[in-house]
Amino acid sequence: MNKKSMWSVKFPVAAFALIPAGIGINYIGKFFAELLKLPLWLDSIGTVLSGMLAGPVIGALVGIINNLIYGFTLSPISYVYAITSGVVGLVAGFMAYKGWISSIKKALFLGLIVGLVAATVSTPLNMQFWGGQTGNIWGDILFAYLSASNAPLWLASFADSIVVDVPDKIVTVLVSYLIFKGLPKNVTQMYDNHSKIERL
Amino acid sequence: MRTMTIYVEKDSMIHNVDPLTKLLFVFVSVAMTYILPTYHFIIVVFVFTLFLLFVGKVLNYTLPVISVSFMLITSIIIIQSLFHPDRATPIYDIGPFTIYKEGITFAFLVTLRIFNMICAFGLLILTTKPDDLVQALINLGLSAKIGYVILSVLQIIPQMIRTTDKISDAQRSRGMETEGKLLTRIKSFIPLITPVVLNSLNDTLERSIALEIRGFNATGKRTILNNPTPYKYGLVFKVLLLMLLVGTIFWRVMI
Amino acid sequence: MSHIRVENLKYKYPTIDTFTINDISFIVNKGEFIGISGMNTAGKTTLCYTLTGLIPHFFKGSYGGNVFINDMEVWKHEVHEISASIGLVFENPFSQMSGAKQTVYDEIAFGLENRGVPRAEIHARVEDCMQQLDIENLQHKNPFELSGGQMQRVAIASVIAMKPDILILDEPTSQLDPQGSDEVFGVIENISKKGITIIMVDQKMEQLAKFSDRIFLIHNGTLIDSGTPTDLISRNNFLQYGVEPPIYSSFAQSMGLTNSKTGGLPITIEDMPNSGLENFIAKSYIDIECSIKTAEVIVSDLHFGYTKNASILNGITIHLNGSPTAIIGHNGAGKTTFVKLLKALIQPCKGEVLIDGVKTSNSTAAKLASTIGLVFQNPNDQIFKNNVLDEVMFGPLQTGQSKETARNNAIKMIDRVGLSSKINENPYDLSLAERKMITIASVLAMDTKIVIFDEPTMGQDHAGKIKLAEIIHGLYAEGKLVICITHDMDFVANTFEQTVILQEGRVLFDGLTREAFAQDKLLQLAKLKKPHITQLAQHMGFDGVILSQQELMT
Repeated sequence: MNKKSMWSVKFPVAAFALIPAGIGINYIGKFFAELLKLPLWLDSIGTVLSGMLAGPVIGALVGIINNLIYGFTLSPISYVYAITSGVVGLVAGFMAYKGWISSIKKALFLGLIVGLVAATVSTPLNMQFWGGQTGNIWGDILFAYLSASNAPLWLASFADSIVVDVPDKIVTVLVSYLIFKGLPKNVTQMYDNHSKIERL
Repeated sequence: MRTMTIYVEKDSMIHNVDPLTKLLFVFVSVAMTYILPTYHFIIVVFVFTLFLLFVGKVLNYTLPVISVSFMLITSIIIIQSLFHPDRATPIYDIGPFTIYKEGITFAFLVTLRIFNMICAFGLLILTTKPDDLVQALINLGLSAKIGYVILSVLQIIPQMIRTTDKISDAQRSRGMETEGKLLTRIKSFIPLITPVVLNSLNDTLERSIALEIRGFNATGKRTILNNPTPYKYGLVFKVLLLMLLVGTIFWRVMI
Repeated sequence: MSHIRVENLKYKYPTIDTFTINDISFIVNKGEFIGISGMNTAGKTTLCYTLTGLIPHFFKGSYGGNVFINDMEVWKHEVHEISASIGLVFENPFSQMSGAKQTVYDEIAFGLENRGVPRAEIHARVEDCMQQLDIENLQHKNPFELSGGQMQRVAIASVIAMKPDILILDEPTSQLDPQGSDEVFGVIENISKKGITIIMVDQKMEQLAKFSDRIFLIHNGTLIDSGTPTDLISRNNFLQYGVEPPIYSSFAQSMGLTNSKTGGLPITIEDMPNSGLENFIAKSYIDIECSIKTAEVIVSDLHFGYTKNASILNGITIHLNGSPTAIIGHNGAGKTTFVKLLKALIQPCKGEVLIDGVKTSNSTAAKLASTIGLVFQNPNDQIFKNNVLDEVMFGPLQTGQSKETARNNAIKMIDRVGLSSKINENPYDLSLAERKMITIASVLAMDTKIVIFDEPTMGQDHAGKIKLAEIIHGLYAEGKLVICITHDMDFVANTFEQTVILQEGRVLFDGLTREAFAQDKLLQLAKLKKPHITQLAQHMGFDGVILSQQELMT
């Protein structure tokens, strides 16, 4: 067995079974958040968790394919955000591998970073496709306020995205972290790149 | 909810068009509305898309697809007409706010684009079987394994939704409340989502085994059992679409 | 030439400290039907993984000795190479569906597509397999809309279509109800006649004995003994290894009967004499009186349906109290719906349920949590903590027990279900049967007056079933009302004093278990079988109802 890096693109079968599961988890996260009438989306738990489990490449794939499939089934405009979702998985996977999920404090920081990155990537998309808004009521109120006070469009749009993405991603990463810490060994084992066969 | 797809099984000319041509249509149609920012032109593109939806006998299925983006559209119309950066020409006062002509024009333009984007995608989604689209993409060079991933999501999510009721029943039976104050509801999120996650990851282990056993990792050439029949006019339409796109770009550059 | 050769095989999972397979050697010849028997955690599934190459290639870990499949050394080949000659079907039918196919037909073809089998041949093989597995009528259905038994047959067809030389069936019926189980065993009988080498792991010794040329008895990762069913059962004390021998053999042994043809113990009902008990007089017809006072459930004229046109319960009137009560009935009889109504998870369309005098329509499941405990069928639908103790403490804490009481109750109940040594483990690192025990402990720790079980014996081995019976009797002794939905008639016979038979949302019978199994017509109508021991006694000429082996020991 060769030692594999976290950027390996030769996936074990388990990774191909993980991607649909990750997308499903995203969906169910959103489903329960709506059921419980929570003021967050929580629709990227699977993306973040897949990144933590199987690295940035799989994390990014879960994010991208997730939005392509949403676009194909529920809401065409999610195609636009495929890049954002991909980056969320990528960053979560990368930083998790660099040790940013070793404590709850680090996980909080990871959530903040993921949220900021998501907002940064979404802003140009929002500006290009719909004049800078997100469609989220709180974010758009801030957008309206900043626009009314003649702030530059990019700033208003970025602020809007931050309101939308940062709290959601912090909670998402925190939930993913709590679940990840509690995963059984036989699941984490499947994605452990370092495990080898010992010949007796 | 039985399936994830909103594909509508009908017999129409549009249904018979091959998936890749429809995919190219979506791309060209959306791109044109962003390349040429005049709303007369966008209206023409949009009406044409609606016409195709009508030919495909799926026009009445389009409304629910649009309604998903209702919040975004409403918010754009309200905020842009009030606060658009280039606002200069007031046309109407509501209380402390003023509606500006520039904002209204911009909101109208953006809304038209969104409508067209949703309808163009709707045309593809409503008239194309997911299997056929994925197969067409595989023929184009997409990895068969990624194709597997996409199709299996469509099957797995409804199965996961089916377990949510049982999980909710089981946790409520143990005294967990799912209604009431925000804090109560937040607290119940973890007991609800975690079993789904653990279950699906555990299934992942077993499904990987099943895939291994069934040669998912085999290295030779795969057989395609249900290859969609080639569409006669696919090439003609694709060339026409590309010409339209090039024409639009040319027009934009000229004016 | 040997077909499978295992030499001094040792294996340790990377996450576990002890060897799961500890020095096993055996040979299997072409065309043999090998049964593998042993209690849960004996290492049976692990052994299956080593034969398919999943161990070591998929699971990694420490691996010693050798496995040869047709002289191909498993250690040196990839799983997809090995799987060309060996197919595996396991317990959970759901996770064996590829997930990417919309129809049964395409699902069966999936493996053949991966292997690049020519299109015409795929069609031929799929047709052939569907016929063998009796699923032709399902070919256009979505695999996920099938029943467990149907899905498992699709899983078998999908593997057989790949034409392996060897087929491994790892407890193919343990997660199925009796009907699904019968369907699957029915097709296994067909397949076994086609000359393919089969290795089957199962808890049901009756079935293993019926099919197998030889049986391997596995315990703690070692091969204890192997031989023909008759020899093996005649010379071993199976109970010592946590396996329940066929009831016929153990009864014959106690009576000193032998099979005249083989000279060993009889292993099927056909091997038993069909006379000898005509004049038997059961001495100990002591059905315990409903002497202990428990909570009571009064149900009157209960109706329920999720939609107007599809009613599930059609007027149930019943009074449940006293000794433990089993609820039996065919699939779709309304058993699970009924207990959901007791628990106020759903509300009746008509009629009412009184729990100790309180109407459920004024309550919710969460409020009733401290009165009625309900153990669901699938433990995976509720376990969410990362250690056993926290999981068991969740319910008690939710229902208002103090942290200390909750902890004490949890520890006591974990002990009661026999998991004290695993109190700090992650539930998902344990077996499904153990997880089921965790959910039982998590409900018992809530210390409710009424405890309801839904299919508690599914996936449990002999020891687990005995443990469950103990728990149920213990609860009754503490004055609790126990109600249990089950498909396992043997378990009903030796655990429950009272039985309710449901059929199409109505009560067919409500009374003593002994009388329930005397209702030949009703049982037939409800598509239920009698317990094995009852059948055996009647086969031998007794015309009453026997509920346990002890009753026959005179």
